[in-house]
Amino acid sequence: MAVLTVDNLSKNYRSVKALQNVSFAVPEKTVFGILGPNGSGKTTLLGIVMDVLKASGGTYAWLGEQGTATLRKRIGTLLETPNFYHYLSAKDNLKIAAKIKGRGEDDIDKVLEIVNLYQRRDSKFNTYSLGMKQRLAIAAALLGDPDILVFDEPTNGLDPAGIAEIRELIKELNRKGKTIIMASHILDEVEKVCTHVAIIQKGVLKMVGSVKEVMAHSSGDVANAVLIELGADNDEALIKILQQMKGIQDIALVDHYLQITCAENITAVQVNKFCFDNGIVLNRLNEKRKSLETRFLEITGKQSDR
Amino acid sequence: MFNLFKIEWLKIKTYRTFWILFLAFLVFFPLAFYFSASKYMESLSGSGRMEEQLLKAMIESPFVFPKVWLSSSWMGGLFFILLGMLFILLITNEVQYRTHRQNIIDGWSRTDFLKAKFSILIFFVLVSTALIFVSGLVVGLVFSPSKAAVFKGVYYVGYFALMATLYLMLAYLVAILIKRTGLAIIIYFAIVCILDNVLWLIFTLKNSQVGYFMPLEAVDSLVPNPFKPKIMERRTVEDYTLIIAAVLYITVYFSVIVNYFRKTDLKT
Repeated sequence: MAVLTVDNLSKNYRSVKALQNVSFAVPEKTVFGILGPNGSGKTTLLGIVMDVLKASGGTYAWLGEQGTATLRKRIGTLLETPNFYHYLSAKDNLKIAAKIKGRGEDDIDKVLEIVNLYQRRDSKFNTYSLGMKQRLAIAAALLGDPDILVFDEPTNGLDPAGIAEIRELIKELNRKGKTIIMASHILDEVEKVCTHVAIIQKGVLKMVGSVKEVMAHSSGDVANAVLIELGADNDEALIKILQQMKGIQDIALVDHYLQITCAENITAVQVNKFCFDNGIVLNRLNEKRKSLETRFLEITGKQSDR
Repeated sequence: MFNLFKIEWLKIKTYRTFWILFLAFLVFFPLAFYFSASKYMESLSGSGRMEEQLLKAMIESPFVFPKVWLSSSWMGGLFFILLGMLFILLITNEVQYRTHRQNIIDGWSRTDFLKAKFSILIFFVLVSTALIFVSGLVVGLVFSPSKAAVFKGVYYVGYFALMATLYLMLAYLVAILIKRTGLAIIIYFAIVCILDNVLWLIFTLKNSQVGYFMPLEAVDSLVPNPFKPKIMERRTVEDYTLIIAAVLYITVYFSVIVNYFRKTDLKT
């Protein structure tokens, strides 16, 4: 059964259409990424399924049930920003969360250890740095070992080590059989962590499926094309030579190097050899794997939609 | 409900502003009441001027049974504004810290959140009513020449409880609708101190009784100023009509709060 289904969900803020008829289902035991630029409606979507925002149209269901408070007690959620009582310690804040969830207080120390805040458990929330606040919010989501976790921009405000830790934590949770729904505008993050992805732009769902499907589901030549970055001391001579090579579809000058798009049977080795045979020594050669980033830009267009 | 209150208690038990305002009410009201009583009785027994004695004779002494119950309730009402302010603060804080969102996310329903705050309202009403009762009793016992009929007029303490409930319901409504701490407190004070009195004034001109049914005046009139001589009282409507009006206001505020909060987007 799908963990979460949203059906034709819409949300209007006066004239702004923050979400327009969004429908998808989150399969069990996946890491489901909701990917979109700033202001695309990710947080609005999560806000609605957590009942802090009211949809203008459409429905949603957790585990097949229309959202009830009882179900939310079994979901660990970090939405938008860490929300805690500023004058209370980390531990007291978690006590309140645990009480609301109807859980005991015995795993508070454990979750604080997972996010490395155990040493600071008695410090007041308002003495925490941004990254520590974010960690505490993740700790709160982990309370009671829920089977479903919802993370909105989970690595916000964390340092590089913290980002790596949290990503590893998410993968680890998924290996334990938990379903994780994660919103992010960081492509790299979604690509590294998620098994499934929904791409959303200006409130419209552009594409949804497993990461593999979304990557493959591309139109025509672009899908199978190979991207190669290369450079030489003399760019103009290099361009001339490349124009003579078969299988090259496009040559573009990007910053200080060239980016060529070739048919799928062309490899970097062949390009290197061709140039060398024609008297040009390359100082840069990089075959680019087609990433979610290129896919994302294909789907959403290159213009930032802000 | 009691479980919800226990969670609310976790939120406020180490909140300094809560204790400052709460203790200010708990300490200053009884002290002020006792010292007013003692000063008043002192001046009464002294050989003051004739006019003074005459004026005092016109007013039934406010600090002996049975009138001490009215005085305690009336004076408690003046101090009770502290708790109204505190109640607004406790609600708008949640919005400001976005913890109202977090409570819902963690598994409260919207109604749970409202019930939790309502449990604080009840707590404030119970504690303050008990305090008004004890203060009235102590002052009455100390200053009354006769200890007979101690509990005659004790119904004023019940009126106080109704007054406290209505004042807090108004605070609740203002806090839920306005959301911003400063603005909500200013609007609350404007209604309590200015608007309600102006409405009362407008509607009681030409001897109309409508003014006594204004949102807060209804309960204010149930607990009139004990220092005002009886002949100045122009109210002719019965107490029970005012009680009905007060209960109606409480119901209306309650339904507006519930309807609004259950449908609104929880934002800051």
